Amino acid sequence: MHNPPMISGRRALLLAAAVAALIGCGGTTDDRPASWPFISATITEPSCATVNCHSEVAKRAGVDMHDRASGFDAMVMKGFVDPTSPDTSAVLYLMRGQGSTRMPPDMPLPEADIVLIRNWIAAGAKNE
Amino acid sequence: MRRLLLCLLVAGVGTFGFARGAAAYPQFQFSSGTTKCNQCHYSPAGGGLISSWGRSESGDTISMAGDGGFLHGAVTLPTWFAAGADVRLAVTRTDDGGDESPHGAWFPMQADLYMRFAFGDAFSLYLAGGVRGETRPEDDSISGRFSGIGDRFISREHYLMWRPSATGPYARAGRFYAPYGLRFVEHIYFVRRYTGYELYNETYTASGGYVSDEWELHLSAFTPPPSSLPDPLQSVGARESGIAGYFEYRLNGMAALAAQARAGIGKEASRYQGGLVGKLWVERAKLLFLGEADLIQQVVTTPSFNQSQFVSYLGVSYFPVRGVMITPMFERFQENLSVAGTGRNAGDLQINLFLYAHCEVVLFGRYMRVGTQGQPAATLLMAQLHYYL
Repeated sequence: MHNPPMISGRRALLLAAAVAALIGCGGTTDDRPASWPFISATITEPSCATVNCHSEVAKRAGVDMHDRASGFDAMVMKGFVDPTSPDTSAVLYLMRGQGSTRMPPDMPLPEADIVLIRNWIAAGAKNE
Repeated sequence: MRRLLLCLLVAGVGTFGFARGAAAYPQFQFSSGTTKCNQCHYSPAGGGLISSWGRSESGDTISMAGDGGFLHGAVTLPTWFAAGADVRLAVTRTDDGGDESPHGAWFPMQADLYMRFAFGDAFSLYLAGGVRGETRPEDDSISGRFSGIGDRFISREHYLMWRPSATGPYARAGRFYAPYGLRFVEHIYFVRRYTGYELYNETYTASGGYVSDEWELHLSAFTPPPSSLPDPLQSVGARESGIAGYFEYRLNGMAALAAQARAGIGKEASRYQGGLVGKLWVERAKLLFLGEADLIQQVVTTPSFNQSQFVSYLGVSYFPVRGVMITPMFERFQENLSVAGTGRNAGDLQINLFLYAHCEVVLFGRYMRVGTQGQPAATLLMAQLHYYL
């Protein structure tokens, strides 16, 4: 049914290895803004507001993080963050899996993201 | 007969359970002798209900034995009507590196029903309805809005289509994903999750294109469901409106190279992305190489900030004997290309066993490294039973 292969398996493997090598890049400094609108749009909405968790339709544990306003309400009004003591904020323990199920349970956040959230809390945890 | 009874038992149990995605295996392009997705699917870009040709292939080429026809060939439907269903049960074991890991769960993953009505040779109406999945063990302390099956109904796809012939031009409008990427059924793959194709994020889309034996083109404009629509029509994930294009060129029935682009404009952030998709079938070795790589420019409105992202997939599917597909793969997502600690790398192994027509067992394992060295790794083990009608 098929024509004879024009590319050998070994050559295809080499090509595959070259593409796979496209990993690991970026600088050591983090210039991303430690602001809630940025964190919500780029970290918590794609990672936390997933279909069975904190999306608008699921609202697992009563927490809705599907947009900036709902996420801010969940994080600040429900007491997951404490600007007076950022390092002991509950959300950081959850995201690091310390004493609880790690959040998000299916796709842990990089420590760089957790530090950015910590810096936002330390700056007053404002919605701006 | 015993295997058939087992399959029907799985389907019966699973009917009480719940949803995931219209099934499509891009690995069957070339490896099964077909070159185009729409040879087996009614959709011009693949996915969803399979055609009579696809049913025949599922029994004769893909599965170890059995009849791929509707109800195992017991009933012949009129040519103007087609129907099907997908039911999945899954069990998982997750180790996220946290203090309470590992933890397990079993859950009904999918229960979807599909129907297609043809009006003459050119027009058709496609309807899909099902129940949202529920992937956490019952725990009142973390329960969400869902209280029963009634809350979980969802119609992820429904559209009208004009397609006078299997090859040539087509147009369709309704709810479905704009064609883009490798279009895996597995929604946890990074190339779906981070490109606007999260689970249940189907948009309202107008799409048109052209499908020939050598190439195909799909152009789409899309928008999320209006927030005024009821829950069964709502999406989950980024609410973006925009356009998408996908062009694929095929070579000698053994390779394909595609270029793609998508712009999704959201209220809080927008994404402008483009990439390449490639497939290569090596007949002698029974290997199908698949790859996708996308660069994404994410533009955040407030504060004004742009970041570049990268997401990729590289896998090779091995078909040692009929009915068995083994796919090791590598995935990469980097949330911000300027910040080294924002990457995720995953090595996956998936084994699909098509033991009997309509029945499938899926075994999946993932080992994922997140961020920089020193962060704990995460692992996922999953087994699925899948029955399609």
